[in-house]
Amino acid sequence: MSMRTFQSRLSRAAWALVLCGIFTFGPSLANAQDVIRFGASLSLTGRLSTEGKRVKDGYDFYVKHVNALGGIDIAGKKYKVDIVYYDDGSDTNTAVKLVEKLITEDGIKFLLGPYGSGASLPATAVAERHRLPMVIAHGASTPIYTRGFKYIFGTLNSVDQYTQPIIKMASEQKPPLKNVALINENALFPQLGIDAAASQSKELGLNVVYEEKYPTGTKDLSSQLVKMKATNPDLILAGGYTGDMILLAKQIREGGLKPKLLAYLLGPTLPGFVESLKQDAENTLEPVQWTPNLPWKDTIFGYSAMDFAKKFQAEFGYWPDYHPPQSSAALEVYHHAFQKVGSLDPEKVRDAIAKTDIMTFYGPVRFNDKGQNIAKSMSVIQIQDGKPVVVYPIKDAEAKLRLN
Amino acid sequence: MTLLQVIVNGVLLGGLYACIAIGFSIIWGVMNLINLAHGSMIMLGAYITFLVTTHTGIDPFLTIPAAAAALFALGYVLQKFLINFIVQASIFMTLIFTFGLDMLMTNVNLALFTGDVRALAVPYAQQSLDVGGITLPYGRMLVFAIAIALTLSLEIFLNRTRTGRAIKATSFDRDAARLSGIDIAQTYALTFAIGAMMAGIAGSLVAVIYSFSPAMGDSFTMKAFVVVVLGGLGSVPGAIVGGIVLGIVENLASLLLDAGYRDAIGFGLLIMVLLLRPEGLLGKRFFAEVKG
Repeated sequence: MSMRTFQSRLSRAAWALVLCGIFTFGPSLANAQDVIRFGASLSLTGRLSTEGKRVKDGYDFYVKHVNALGGIDIAGKKYKVDIVYYDDGSDTNTAVKLVEKLITEDGIKFLLGPYGSGASLPATAVAERHRLPMVIAHGASTPIYTRGFKYIFGTLNSVDQYTQPIIKMASEQKPPLKNVALINENALFPQLGIDAAASQSKELGLNVVYEEKYPTGTKDLSSQLVKMKATNPDLILAGGYTGDMILLAKQIREGGLKPKLLAYLLGPTLPGFVESLKQDAENTLEPVQWTPNLPWKDTIFGYSAMDFAKKFQAEFGYWPDYHPPQSSAALEVYHHAFQKVGSLDPEKVRDAIAKTDIMTFYGPVRFNDKGQNIAKSMSVIQIQDGKPVVVYPIKDAEAKLRLN
Repeated sequence: MTLLQVIVNGVLLGGLYACIAIGFSIIWGVMNLINLAHGSMIMLGAYITFLVTTHTGIDPFLTIPAAAAALFALGYVLQKFLINFIVQASIFMTLIFTFGLDMLMTNVNLALFTGDVRALAVPYAQQSLDVGGITLPYGRMLVFAIAIALTLSLEIFLNRTRTGRAIKATSFDRDAARLSGIDIAQTYALTFAIGAMMAGIAGSLVAVIYSFSPAMGDSFTMKAFVVVVLGGLGSVPGAIVGGIVLGIVENLASLLLDAGYRDAIGFGLLIMVLLLRPEGLLGKRFFAEVKG
């Protein structure tokens, strides 16, 4: 090897080292001190990608707006906010692995929840094991909160509170809607919701005349509906995810069932439901965590629920259901906790989160010792003339309930 | 009465199952190719119907030719320029290929149409006829009639036309067919195109009565698989019988046992047929076995 080529190789190697240095150490040194990084695994593709995107948009709304204010002011220093996302492809096992990766490989100290109870249940266990706080926004199933975990908090009402107002409405009608039919997908969240509805019905003196679950991925519910029809229900309450609920609505019409009220654990406010079903979506009910008409006003940004909805639509291109604000609220919980302790120590932040008592555009947030938000309760919407309107509780109602 | 209603529902559903399965069956029977992308092709057909109907407002049943033509073209191009190169390779190669194709198509569908669940509101299709206490939804009856009519016309095509008979001959014995002057590559391309076209048509019908999203294709591939094994590989009447048997058995299982047993019984039936009558209810041995 001649001296000349040796020198040129040496200088190339030196350059390579310098470049490596710039790219690997440079930005991380500059960023490490003034950026707070959150981490989340979300269902951005696959079965739950519609919902996953809405969750991400809600997280991103907060990030965008807080960074526009210059970041979070913690003990006199401004911190910008960033979120590391991974796509779990709507697969629970993948979500668990990705949360582990966020913690061990990416060094994330503050975790946000995935979409849905199915993924939240195991994902929260990973955070708890690493003793890092995880504020979840989309796990409504009660078992998430009843395992004695100390680092897990949820901004939403849990599933046992979902059906309460609907069963109450049925019992308050004159005459009361006595016969209740319950049907649900055999999955964690729908099952818990419908189980709660069954016991609430009994407490309020209604008769559960039909109760059945169907397996995930069922394409046809006509046999169940034939059986249900024979019991003559006044109220049908169904639990499952969007695809099944649209199918159920179509098949209820096809099968000639005529309940006075048709309610879903979730469905009518989700994208595609009203557009797909048109007339068959009319008068359907859904308990909702949030609507833009509720009288909340945020203390970080000063936005009301309606302000949030308008800004969100302008920036993300669609009118928000409860998914986005519920996600933003999770970050607001952290925001207040950081400011209260003036530190980024996960243990101290966890203790501050446990004492959260805040108002957001999503509503009030205050946790019980299980980490459930007990400061708010569910409202009920009905699709009237193609639009969701609040019909319950009466004090927030925009319209009167319509019976079929 | 409940029992009768459930059986009627099963028969109506079975017509659709036959239509879902027939394209899968023909491709498998003629080329010994298990097309795992069949469900994705059905989803594509469903989205074509959805898009044409929502943008132009025409009746979804009238969009069937559009879905059929689009999928026919796609199927022809796929076979001519891709699958023909590997169709002679081992079954594992073709399985891996169609699996890849399925993933590609599912994700392209997701990118094009988003993961939102869609359905079509067809007001008259959701009305129903009441015959002595039995509810017959118009939409389901129409879907049944179209599915059966198209599946039967495929049978006529295969038996009565020159091209159809060339396809059948190729499926019996490729080398003898080639010696008789049949262009094998062209016949294969045509067969795959017809299979894809039937998937597109099934997709249009699925769009009318189900809710759908891109990730749902796989479950239709599984249904097609069961129907084909039940009815017999490559057999058109077999697909109809297999479809209707599966529809009735599934519905009865949901009624008499529990909705949770629906698929268990369906697949249990599959295993029983494989054990007791591996050529299928209406299958002929040579369809499946001539090709080693």
